Amino acid sequence: MSTKPDVIRKCLQSACLVGLLVTGILSLDCNLLHFHLRKVTWQNLRLLSSTSSSFPVECLRETKAFELPQEILSHTQPAKRYIKEAFYEMSIQAFNIFSQYTFTSTWEKDYLKQIQIGLDQQLQYLEQCLEEEEKEKEDSKELEEDGMNWSGALVPQLSNLELRRYFNRIDNFLKEKKYSHCAWEIIRVEIRRCFYYFQKFAALLRKK
Amino acid sequence: MKTVEHCSNITATFCDLTDVWEVLSETYAVTVDGFRGNTTLVTCFIDFFLATHISLEPPEFDIVDFTDHINVHVNFPPVMPKILDGKVLQFYLPLIIEEQSGGIVKKHNPTLDENVTGNFTYVIDNLLPNTNYCVSVYFKHRNLEEIHRSPVKCTLLPPAQDTGSSESAKIGGIITMFLIAAVFISTILILKRVGYICLRNDFPKVLNFHNMSSWVFPEMPPLEAVAFVEVIHINRKKKVWNYSYDDESDSNDEAAAPLTNTGGYTKHGLVGGLLGPTSASSATWEDRLEPDTEERDLSEPEADTDPLMALGTNPGGSECTSGAYEGRGKLLQDPFSKEDSSSTEGSGDKIIFNVNLSSVFVSALDDDDSEAPPASPSFPEETYNLEDSHRLETSFLEARGEGTQPPFPTPSAECPWPEVVLSDISDSSESGVDTGDGYIMR
Repeated sequence: MSTKPDVIRKCLQSACLVGLLVTGILSLDCNLLHFHLRKVTWQNLRLLSSTSSSFPVECLRETKAFELPQEILSHTQPAKRYIKEAFYEMSIQAFNIFSQYTFTSTWEKDYLKQIQIGLDQQLQYLEQCLEEEEKEKEDSKELEEDGMNWSGALVPQLSNLELRRYFNRIDNFLKEKKYSHCAWEIIRVEIRRCFYYFQKFAALLRKK
Repeated sequence: MKTVEHCSNITATFCDLTDVWEVLSETYAVTVDGFRGNTTLVTCFIDFFLATHISLEPPEFDIVDFTDHINVHVNFPPVMPKILDGKVLQFYLPLIIEEQSGGIVKKHNPTLDENVTGNFTYVIDNLLPNTNYCVSVYFKHRNLEEIHRSPVKCTLLPPAQDTGSSESAKIGGIITMFLIAAVFISTILILKRVGYICLRNDFPKVLNFHNMSSWVFPEMPPLEAVAFVEVIHINRKKKVWNYSYDDESDSNDEAAAPLTNTGGYTKHGLVGGLLGPTSASSATWEDRLEPDTEERDLSEPEADTDPLMALGTNPGGSECTSGAYEGRGKLLQDPFSKEDSSSTEGSGDKIIFNVNLSSVFVSALDDDDSEAPPASPSFPEETYNLEDSHRLETSFLEARGEGTQPPFPTPSAECPWPEVVLSDISDSSESGVDTGDGYIMR
């Protein structure tokens, strides 16, 4: 009987994984944030496209336009902080939506778990970088009392509201359709589309 | 749902929908209906997301080889699909140019413009002349694992003439230098073997540079304190301590005692004149400091015959309690302190030496030729003072300190006592000193 060594081995494995995760998060460099965001977003895109079943024909009649915010759709160069905040909002909302998904099959469960893990990592990375920016802003707050900073600070708040409203529409659609299979398929397609635009959005972080 | 006109009412089993795709971010659902007459035989439906399912066939390309680089001319179609702009291609379908040589594959990712049309030239530089290189071009799809490569095109780069000639010249020069050095070394070796050149391995000390530091910085001789020394010449006659009983040995005073050192102990051969009427006679004494009996071997033959010392308290000089100590007995030489003025009479017969009798063992040195042992008178034993002899014996024993056989006093008529005067006598010995007629006892 070798229960104790197995238990110890499992504990060690989980401890190692946790340690690697913690060190990985702690050692994240905010200058490489855009690489991480693009990578995670692309991964989620692929996962959402890897479902075995195709889109049901009968669900074509129930499709709906959820109106992704124009700031996300446009290719203008917004402030970098806004991009990060938008990513943060999107990650939280998508995570919450996928948490409500009722798994009908095993492969769907595995795919959605991976998506949620990716979103969680993205959130932690963004939190760290946003906190660093907050500290830098507080240090330079006394020096800069420019009105543009205040106006710039308002823009992200409005865009985040639009983004939040977008995800509220998605959530309401699910509730109206009572979390039916067609509703979930329509939402899956919509969120995949959202991820695509956010991936292009992340490329703007690289530009100065 | 939108009906594609150029793909309607066709009998072909395929239709190109490239121009139908507008936005890469959208999900397209396609329905294909198959009819026979007015009867629908089959209906197919499929959906796909272009961003993750897009792929491109590899473009056509040409290569132009040079000495150290290759120009790759990629032929893009004149009109690109509107769904594929520069940004899309750069991210979703990057162009890869593979260069392979000798099993080593090197990938090049050229940056394309947003509006990529027509020919596109890419230069692969830093190549080795006279080397075979193979080039392949394809679009790397981010989602698909399979890669659709173009047919590989290989070429052998021409050799670099200028660099080749310079290299050959360099190689020739190096070879020539090696040959010259080899000839020179071999010549020296041959001359050395023949003997025409003598190469010394042992260099003179002057040329010994091992201790360079000491050579450059020679060690200063240690400073010696020079003091003035006054040499005093003292003429001394060697004293021979020869305790012989011959008259010829009048120069006893001046005779030097033979001095031998054995084992840290000093042997002094005591030579001196005799007390009493026969003061001229002398006996040879051997004063031993070391009570080792083995050392007595030297004086054994001499000790057998000569009477040695006064052993009794007999004040009379006629009775000589001293006897010849035969054999190997040790003798404790009582201090022959001569307080009488007689000691000063014959200065030539007196020998003065400092002896610590507590550590001195005196043995008689027999000299057969030097002296004629006087006829020993009959020596009645009753005259022998037993008490004193007993005390003597004990004193001998005490002084000796070792288990040697105590000497037995043997009578002798006339004991040729050497007149030995001890200047420094220990207190213990002085207490018992009784200088009678040449007899000394403790």
